[in-house]
Amino acid sequence: MTDAKFEVAGETLTLMPERAIYWERNKTLLIADPHFGKSATFRAHGIPIPEGNLNSDLARLTQAITRTGADKVIVLGDLLHTVLGRDDETLGSVQMWREQHPDLQITLVRGNHDRHAGDPPDVWQMQCVDAPITKPPFVLTHQPEPSADGYVLAGHLHPLALLEGKGKQSLKLPCFWFGTEQAILPAFGSFIDGMVVRTVATDRVFVVTPGSVQRI
Amino acid sequence: MNVAPALQWFATQGWTPFPFQHEIWQAYADGESGMIHSPTGTGKTYAAWFAPLLEWLAEQPETSVHVNGKQIAPPLRVLWITPLRALASDTANALQAPLEYLNVPWTVETRTSDTSLTIRNRQRNRLPTALITTPESLSLLLARDNAVMLFSDLCAVVVDEWHELLSTKRGVQTELALARLRRWRPELRTWGLSATVGNLDAALRTLIGVADYERGEVPCGRLVQGDLSKQLLIQSIIPERIERFPWAGHLGLSLLPRVLQIVDANRTTLIFTNTRNQTERWYQEMLEMRPEWAGEIALHHSSLDADAREWVENGLRTGKLKCVVCTSSLDLGVDFPVVDAAIQIGSPKGAARLMQRAGRSGHQPGVASIITCVPTNTLELLAVSAARDAIAQGQLENRPSLINPQDVLVQHLVTVGLGGGFTSGVLYREVRTTQAYRTLTPAEWAWAVDFVAGGGAALHNYPEYNRLQQEDGKYVVTDKHVAQAHRMSIGTILGDAQLQVQYVRGAKIGNIEESFVTRLKRGDKFTLAGQVLEFVRLHEMKVWVRKAKNSKGVIPRWFGGSLPLSEELTSHIREKLRQAHDEIYNDAEMRALHPIFQLQAKWSRIPLPDELLIEVTHTRDGYHLFFYPFEGRLVHEGLAALMAYRLARLQPITFTLAANDYGFELLSPEAPSFDEALAGGLLSVDGLLDDILHSLNASELAKRQFREIARVAGLVMQRFPGGQKTMKQLQASSSLIYDVLANYDPANLLLEQAQREVLQSQLEATRLQRTLERIARGKVVVERVPRPTPFAFPLLIDHLRQTVSSETLEDRVRKMIERYEKWADEPA
Repeated sequence: MTDAKFEVAGETLTLMPERAIYWERNKTLLIADPHFGKSATFRAHGIPIPEGNLNSDLARLTQAITRTGADKVIVLGDLLHTVLGRDDETLGSVQMWREQHPDLQITLVRGNHDRHAGDPPDVWQMQCVDAPITKPPFVLTHQPEPSADGYVLAGHLHPLALLEGKGKQSLKLPCFWFGTEQAILPAFGSFIDGMVVRTVATDRVFVVTPGSVQRI
Repeated sequence: MNVAPALQWFATQGWTPFPFQHEIWQAYADGESGMIHSPTGTGKTYAAWFAPLLEWLAEQPETSVHVNGKQIAPPLRVLWITPLRALASDTANALQAPLEYLNVPWTVETRTSDTSLTIRNRQRNRLPTALITTPESLSLLLARDNAVMLFSDLCAVVVDEWHELLSTKRGVQTELALARLRRWRPELRTWGLSATVGNLDAALRTLIGVADYERGEVPCGRLVQGDLSKQLLIQSIIPERIERFPWAGHLGLSLLPRVLQIVDANRTTLIFTNTRNQTERWYQEMLEMRPEWAGEIALHHSSLDADAREWVENGLRTGKLKCVVCTSSLDLGVDFPVVDAAIQIGSPKGAARLMQRAGRSGHQPGVASIITCVPTNTLELLAVSAARDAIAQGQLENRPSLINPQDVLVQHLVTVGLGGGFTSGVLYREVRTTQAYRTLTPAEWAWAVDFVAGGGAALHNYPEYNRLQQEDGKYVVTDKHVAQAHRMSIGTILGDAQLQVQYVRGAKIGNIEESFVTRLKRGDKFTLAGQVLEFVRLHEMKVWVRKAKNSKGVIPRWFGGSLPLSEELTSHIREKLRQAHDEIYNDAEMRALHPIFQLQAKWSRIPLPDELLIEVTHTRDGYHLFFYPFEGRLVHEGLAALMAYRLARLQPITFTLAANDYGFELLSPEAPSFDEALAGGLLSVDGLLDDILHSLNASELAKRQFREIARVAGLVMQRFPGGQKTMKQLQASSSLIYDVLANYDPANLLLEQAQREVLQSQLEATRLQRTLERIARGKVVVERVPRPTPFAFPLLIDHLRQTVSSETLEDRVRKMIERYEKWADEPA
């Protein structure tokens, strides 16, 4: 696992291939857009998508926590995909995962999907707050929007970067996208499509492969 | 049988029935099914239509019903299936025409996605006496709970333009629907109308179905030949200056002035293109050169609003339009007698296709059909010359039926589940009477039923999520969501999500694909229906636009790839190359190509039919290998993936691949171990199937094919113009779903189908094998060239590329980034 370090607003952030940011000074792990229950939503509409992504996503979260020793997780919105996705399988798997991490403090900054899907069950013991919240020097939110209160960390866009190489090669990969006023995290969920973002020269972009984060 | 009414009405039109029409009327009266094979404009429609009409006239006294002294229309008797909804209203007019004269109280209506809601509501409980519909709309009718009742008086099914449906999943969908109708109405007669194809007997068998093995019935069918004597003339516009480096697409428009001359010299011209994008482009350029033609020329393709298409068709009928630029949307159907010239832009792709398009012109008896081909790159002249040879020798393309497409079957099961339900054994027997599923094994059947009734092996833990439920031993659909989602996504036509384009205040214009919309920003200009539009916003699944003041906008691209060259044509092309090699130039097209062949021969070589030419060269892009089997794009895509896979086994390397109808290219940043690979069986037939399977996954070809399968099987929800927002929660790309299935349900038969389809219909594995065997029998000629040759050029500039890699993702990213770093360090 090759992480990348990036300094922004005077803080050092660790960008992880687990599609998470670790803010070491605060022992806080940041993720965005897990969209838990998306495959369950498909099944609820009679579309036979097997489950599997949820457990691999949860395992990836565990790995990020183990590697960093984080004691707090903040989810930047869209924790659950839909109301229909709240089936026993999805709720049960996340609850089981929660029971293995009883001391972890988890906060959900609500996103647009959370408004329809509803807050997580009480047994998950997650604090739910409306966006944005301030953790100086950062403003944590779901939908990106520059703020006077600090540098914004957001999700919502599921950003992908387009890489071009010699011999007319190209690759689309999830990315961390740092602008001058705000940064967008890659979608944490693996059953999620992304969108190729248009960057400008002052942006800093880091692509995510299964084993590394590399700056482009 | 009394044919007098037909003779009388024909006489009012100044016609006398042809012998083949008499033959069909008699055969129908005798209870036979069959297929009519004849070019357009020779009376196929009335040959089929008068058969059930004459029957009814004969038995009318017993079956007619009077209410208050007035005869009321009998319920559905004739079902008329058409492959293009654009044909429906024309067909309706043609069928309607003789009814009043004959005093037949039948109603004739259409039912397609273009049919108005009022008419559709009226048809809810009672269908017209004759219904004109598409395979998709027919499936929707079969999905009604009162389906059996709706069809209880059905006597005849006519499938128009059957050759168009053959070899497609829509054809399989039609076969399944016909099997259903035949079970309900065992006396049902099926008649197909078909243009010339290479395998008429197979086309007939597919139409009428195969024996029900348990009942031992062997349906037989009659093949009726119409008048086939039409004369056909194929010519080309030869560019005055021949570019020796053929640049795809660029040449065509420079020939526009000469196309305009043809339009000027004729009353009505149809200009056929190969893509919707090309249609928009040519229309735009024509108007720019001849602004005074505004209102007299028009364009026609399947992504235009129904009203716009109808306006164009009416304009053609009344002779008001001078010229229409169109795609295959006007290849078929009822004739426009005023059309006296046809033009083909770009490669004809197939002999039968060129013949069909030519046949749209020159309908008067004794007048030849003429088509003028306009190359968009000079090499396309080769295909024109080859097509002329193929047609002259009567070697037209075969259209084989598809075998066991699991996705269409899965969709059909839900359709039948909605339309009254089924018991497994009975429906299995019914499905096996289609040509497509005659070899379907009990295991494959069980898998399909389990997939919709049990969610498949990976989903047995989720009984609440099944599309079908069992009630009293029958599989039925009970869930409202499932029913609604299925009705919305019925059909087999592949397409990206289509979004409706509409003026902020006013009319609908047409559809564009979502992938194109996502790249638009407010204020961006694009062209649709020949109008330059300014993007305002995307709201509730509609693209809102206003008229732009600019004269040009980006032209959207629609998915739905271009056709490959047919195998018949490729063999004629290789023969043409032999002539070029031997300096024989015996038609205008070949003579025009002379400078290209000359340069190709000087720099490299013109391959003989038993040779495979490989060119090796190096440019600043990297190391290039060009192969020229001249076998058509699909075979080349497969071969390219295979070659790349075999080469990548020797070293960690990444190739990008390009393919066209003539050859393919492998490009890599590092030199591949080509000589070593060639000596070690690069082109060998040994281990072929295994290597192909691996290369399919390596190149993502299977994943690409899965796109269509996922949609047909209901794994990907299609968004419809004006569709509901709630579907947004169900968005996942087929490639994402492919990955999920590959990871968590690897035994899923739809994945296997994707591979099989790529192998069979896409890459034509047997054709690929034949190609390799042909190469093995012949000679491989490797030319090391200092720069890309005329043959290489169109491949070189192709940017749609597949990738095959034996490097890790991390390494590839690292190399790409190093390259960016190097640029960053270079002085500006």
